[in-house]
Amino acid sequence: MDASEAAAVLARARQGDGEAFRALVERHSRSVFRLAFRMTGNEQDAEDVVQESFLRAYRQLGRFESRANFGTWLYRITANCAVDMMRARQARHDQARGETLEEGAASVCSDQAGPERLARSAEIQRQVEDAMADLSPLERAAFTLRHYEGRTIEEISRTLGLGTSAAKHSVFRAVRKLRAALEPLAPAAAAPRARARQEP
Amino acid sequence: MKHYGEDDLILYYYGEAHRQAEIERHVGECRDCFTSYRTIAGTLSLVVEPAIPERTDRYGLEVWQRIRHQLPEQDAPWWIAWLRWDRIALAGAAAALVIAAFVAGLWSRPQPARPASLQATDMPADSGARVRMAAISDHLERSERVLLDLLNAGAGTIDVRDEQVWAADLVGANRLYRQAALRAGDTMVASVLDDLERNLLDIVHGPSKLTPADLEQLRVRLDAAALLFKVRVLHDELRERETAPASPRKTI
Repeated sequence: MDASEAAAVLARARQGDGEAFRALVERHSRSVFRLAFRMTGNEQDAEDVVQESFLRAYRQLGRFESRANFGTWLYRITANCAVDMMRARQARHDQARGETLEEGAASVCSDQAGPERLARSAEIQRQVEDAMADLSPLERAAFTLRHYEGRTIEEISRTLGLGTSAAKHSVFRAVRKLRAALEPLAPAAAAPRARARQEP
Repeated sequence: MKHYGEDDLILYYYGEAHRQAEIERHVGECRDCFTSYRTIAGTLSLVVEPAIPERTDRYGLEVWQRIRHQLPEQDAPWWIAWLRWDRIALAGAAAALVIAAFVAGLWSRPQPARPASLQATDMPADSGARVRMAAISDHLERSERVLLDLLNAGAGTIDVRDEQVWAADLVGANRLYRQAALRAGDTMVASVLDDLERNLLDIVHGPSKLTPADLEQLRVRLDAAALLFKVRVLHDELRERETAPASPRKTI
């Protein structure tokens, strides 16, 4: 679909043409799912976010400025749907979480070799997931956009509708919490060089 | 030798520090900063992206099948929405209320004459006032986030040291903004900031670990003061003032 065709489809969708909206759904679903999964870390939640994002986008199409980029607009809607989803599930997740990080850290920090390295890697991954689940929805969203999506602080603030300073602080707070939870597992190797900004 | 803090090193890690090259040079020379950076980078290197479940080319169609029967009504464009008669009636009623409140204020609270220099700052067109409004608006947004983070905290005992550090940062700024608002004769802004400051101080000086009972007490206190509501309303009001064309400021 070229740019003029995409613009025509979008214009029809804004007039309530269901088939045109279907074309947009088919075109953007996979990228919406990828973002939703990165932000929620859970397949079922990601599916719910995909669904809710498209329904919200359809409802708000009248407010969409045709000069703007639909993908960027949808990205913002998805990120915010994911934050809402994480807020809703936070309490239930807090209660479901079991073992303490300290217990896990003791087991993975011991010397291990051979096939046990795989188990150690899986254990680290589990602890990373636990530590991510400990972040507030906003911290997790800001951190995901910065760390996985390679978005700048400026872009994060626009996506989540925050001030630049609030977006920056959300990332700082997330990193602080992750450090507190994961530092015992961190490799003591030489420091990697600073990451260049990833292109989204 | 000037050392770099954790926040600078985090931004450096992500390639977003203002002085990227300078920090790089410093980290290469300073053992303390190198160690700090190494632990940050080492920890963040553990946070690798989880494998994203595959979705086939037919996925878009599957999503469409799921939502096609749930499509809601589209919202009308904002300008059409505002032309609806009920909105016009509501806007008229709101305007009448504002005018009534304004007139009542004039009758019940005679204002002493203020120096011309002070009155000039009332105009939103004044660049100093606009900067102040933008800064306070940003400050209110940050404050709201801290309060929301606390109020939405999960079940069980929670550690709020981070929120306390954040609230402590906000208290200093809050004091300056409150004083600036008072100097500008903006008593409404000063009053909300005063409420906010007292509650932020309570958070800063409160326990670092909150039990569910502490949290409930905090919720009740904030609810009683209607603090979040006031912060949101003032935030919206300042945003409006920021974007409003030059006109005398509303007095509430």
